[in-house]
Amino acid sequence: MSHAIEKPKDITIPAGSLWAKLPMLGGGAAVIGLGATLAASFGEGRARAMFSYLFAFEAVLAVALGALGWVLIDHTVRASWSTVIKRIAETVAVTLPVFVLLWVPIGTIGFHDLYPWTHEADAVLDRKRWFLSNGFFFGRAALYFVIWSFLSWTLYRTSVKQDTASEGELKGLTHRLWRLSAPGIILYALSQSFQAIDWLMSLQPHWYSTMFGVYYFAASILAFYAFMVLASMGLQRAGVMKTAITTEHFHDMGKFLYGYTVFWAYIAFSQFMLIWYANLPEETVFYMVRNTGGWHYVSYALPVLHFFVPFFFFLSRHVKRNRVALACGAVWTLVMHCVDLYWLVLPNYGTHGEGAHEAVLSVGWTDVAALVGMAGAFLAVFGYFLTKNKVVGINDPRLPESLAHENY
Amino acid sequence: MATATAQTLPNDINTRGDVVLEDPIAGREPLVRGGHDFHAVTEMVCKFNEVEVKKTPKSFLAGLSLAGAVATMFFGYVGYLFWEGPGIWGNNNPVGWAWDIVNFVFWVGIGHAGTLISAILYLFRQKWRTSINRYAEAMTIFAVICASMCVALHTGRIWMDYYLFPLPNQMGLWPNFRSPLEWDVFAVNTYFAVSLLFWFTGLVPDFATLRDRATNKWRQRIYGFLALGWRGSMRHWVTYEKAYQILAAFSAPLVLSVHTIVSFDFAVSQLPGWHTTIFPPYFVAGAIFSGFAMVNTLMLPARHFLGLKDLVTVRHLENINKVILLTGTLVGYAYGMEFFVAAYSGNEYEGFTFINRSFGPYWWAYWIMLSCNVVTPQLFWFKKIRTSVGWSFVLSIFVNIGMWFERFVITVTSLHRDFLVSSWDYFVPVTEVFFLLGTFGLFFTLFLLFVRFFPVIAMSEVKGVMPEANPHWEGYGDHGHGHAAHAAAAEVH
Amino acid sequence: MTAKSLWGVLAQYETPAAVFHACEKVRDEGYQQWDSCAPFPVHGLEKAMGVKPSKLPWAVLIVGVLGSSLMLFFQTWAMGNAYPFVVGGKPLFSLPAFVPIWYEITVLSSCVTAFLANWIMNGLPQPYHPAFASKAFERVTDDKFFIMIEATDPKFDLEKTTALLKSSGATMVEELEP
Repeated sequence: MSHAIEKPKDITIPAGSLWAKLPMLGGGAAVIGLGATLAASFGEGRARAMFSYLFAFEAVLAVALGALGWVLIDHTVRASWSTVIKRIAETVAVTLPVFVLLWVPIGTIGFHDLYPWTHEADAVLDRKRWFLSNGFFFGRAALYFVIWSFLSWTLYRTSVKQDTASEGELKGLTHRLWRLSAPGIILYALSQSFQAIDWLMSLQPHWYSTMFGVYYFAASILAFYAFMVLASMGLQRAGVMKTAITTEHFHDMGKFLYGYTVFWAYIAFSQFMLIWYANLPEETVFYMVRNTGGWHYVSYALPVLHFFVPFFFFLSRHVKRNRVALACGAVWTLVMHCVDLYWLVLPNYGTHGEGAHEAVLSVGWTDVAALVGMAGAFLAVFGYFLTKNKVVGINDPRLPESLAHENY
Repeated sequence: MATATAQTLPNDINTRGDVVLEDPIAGREPLVRGGHDFHAVTEMVCKFNEVEVKKTPKSFLAGLSLAGAVATMFFGYVGYLFWEGPGIWGNNNPVGWAWDIVNFVFWVGIGHAGTLISAILYLFRQKWRTSINRYAEAMTIFAVICASMCVALHTGRIWMDYYLFPLPNQMGLWPNFRSPLEWDVFAVNTYFAVSLLFWFTGLVPDFATLRDRATNKWRQRIYGFLALGWRGSMRHWVTYEKAYQILAAFSAPLVLSVHTIVSFDFAVSQLPGWHTTIFPPYFVAGAIFSGFAMVNTLMLPARHFLGLKDLVTVRHLENINKVILLTGTLVGYAYGMEFFVAAYSGNEYEGFTFINRSFGPYWWAYWIMLSCNVVTPQLFWFKKIRTSVGWSFVLSIFVNIGMWFERFVITVTSLHRDFLVSSWDYFVPVTEVFFLLGTFGLFFTLFLLFVRFFPVIAMSEVKGVMPEANPHWEGYGDHGHGHAAHAAAAEVH
Repeated sequence: MTAKSLWGVLAQYETPAAVFHACEKVRDEGYQQWDSCAPFPVHGLEKAMGVKPSKLPWAVLIVGVLGSSLMLFFQTWAMGNAYPFVVGGKPLFSLPAFVPIWYEITVLSSCVTAFLANWIMNGLPQPYHPAFASKAFERVTDDKFFIMIEATDPKFDLEKTTALLKSSGATMVEELEP
């Protein structure tokens, strides 16, 4: 641009702002929420509490995984509009290593209650043992976390190094990011698909769908964009990057929020349509458990509230360019994302093994506690890394383009 | 973004040919090379269109005659098909669908790259699309014509095809809207119609250019008629751009829906190998993959023969190859996921189908598909290869072959092993090769006619993304390569 | 006022920047019946001219919603009432199975509307325009930029308008006959 826009100066979190306190506040929420959930898991309500825990884990993990995928794609396509918000995304992604700790209760306390294949046996399950076996399951989980930690940590560290790098080093660092990202997408795609298969699809071990990994990806990137909108706005409230993130950037985030809402609906509808049309019992079981005991309300509500409402809401250019409206849309999307994940996880509670019954929708306090705790843990780590470094990659070679970005 | 571009412009702005900028970190390569101004762009694009009909180059006429001869053969073959019926094909129980559907899916898939380039890349503000969108869109339209021929001709009693449409009739009978084959009718027709409207809308300002430059009456009348009296009015451009944007916004999900619906033809069934939930995005990725390969196959010779190397640069080539690499890998993901879930499901029929696919009687088709679609595109990880014209051309042919075989694998190998062992059979084509060849003849005839008479590059759009099109542009920075127009622009500021 | 055979004046500019600033001038002088022409949509020129955003999206929205609802109704009626017939065990009212065609028709009706509305709102096709008589105007679809001010504009005055255009950087000004 002929009139080069000055680089922003308000790029560190001021001490005393809510963001600076986030590690404390989030940590508190995590201790209380997750503590209560785990406490509830000792005793009668163990299975129920662990289902709440898994739901919360996957719902929050989706945001972090969405961020990782987004950063990888962003580097690979050499995007420039998004450079002002890229560091925020990198910081969301760098929370991934912490999810190792958060995963531990799933692999220990809740393992048997959550996953029927660990102790049930029938002809079909016997043919699945090669994949659904304890050792392989834990090995894979370890592999996913290694991949995610490696990718997110390298991306974050390299990006932070750029802040202080000299002109010559900068080039090398940028190239390193680009070189890592394209092959990183492959690792990412495989690990995030298989974690969805391992931790969500195998809740109902007889059911299978080749689309499931893509479904989780759609949900995660959508949740990430919603979070991104809110985080950017929150940072501006705290006096960070007040002029650097413009309406143009929010407009673009709004467009992606809209686009991925459609993408989610496309994937969800295609999966439903094919199973509904072919009507094979081994597949329809997924929708059967979600069609009884109150769950059918959620099943009907999802397409309406998670697709049609946001679809028409985000349609207008004015909504995407209005901060209040966009924030409302983002909050709505996050809430519906949680409903979506709830709908994926909870119907499996009590529908397997001894004393199995029809799925019944009943929201318990552990659902809320687990979600609050998980979100708290995530935000604490997010806030910690955010306050530690600059909120924008100030030396990123694409930053001037991003600052001058305009929609037309 | 002008400064950023300026920093990386090659020192000699008149550098011609296939140069690659080493390190486009801070800026991006210019979209138009060689320091051309607006007028030069017009001249380059219109040059071939304005060659007088009588002076058409012999080599072009030779190509057109060859394609025309094959197209004529195709119509003869269609007559034969009318007379004899689909018995002239090898289709028989249990392989009821074979080359007819394979060709259909192949052609409709190729069409998708055109809409992707014109609509999706437009929405993503990928300005490089402007040099290639016109003929990619033309490719879409001709490919969809070929596709609809394949599918209309496979119905058996072809003269009853009007039953496919919801026409009121005295029996009060309507088509079955719950059938995926009926969805196809709507999807393909909508796709054709919308692509045509989109294409024509984009062509109007360029027809006006040809009209204004016409030196003989007929040329002026015909292009004048097509140009609708376009005069580049800014008040018109405002509405025009809005319409274009809306057409793009609708075409983008449309292109996804079309191949999704094509995948539904297979996936709503209960046949192992057809019924799998990943089919919709997998088909879409495959369609884009094959379409981009076809863009390369057509573009590389075209830019050479028409002298458009400054407009269609190595940057375009590299971007196309990156899309091929991405979509090829996505297709690979889908192949892998299908295989994995067949094993994971514990479903014997699924398991058998996939083992049979790779090691059964049609193993060769499967391995051709896998090597052409997943393995060879991986070569595009190397910058040397994805910026090389020769490599790109060869690999694009591989992809074309691989994607045809993908549809063959899905259609034929899934069918030839029925649930009932006594109906197992091995499909062998009879005269089908003329069917496939004929559609290529038709396609290339249309494409060559398009190249001859229509502007192959969207001039108005290319001019719009040149740096000097920005009213606030200040010239090429320190490099000082500006000619009169550039200097004037700088003076105004 | 002006001679009867005068339609307006046409001014030629060489660069997008020149026409951009000239448009701002003409707009600020308060002209109403005028236009600028360019071989491609010059970014921001509509703002320099003071042209309001197009109303076209509304036409598309209305017809799109209409077409969409009619098709859904039609499918429901044809499958459920006109010729009720169960095929493949699918219920008469099979909403999931109606979605694809419903969707296609939504797209088709919206796109056809966008296409037609584009030409109708622009008053095209228009076989003749006074500017077509100008030899210089042939370059409007190539590399030159033009401003034309119509004689019917209340502020139009041949001498003053010509002077304004010349002072705004026009390389050529000529009179147009209707």
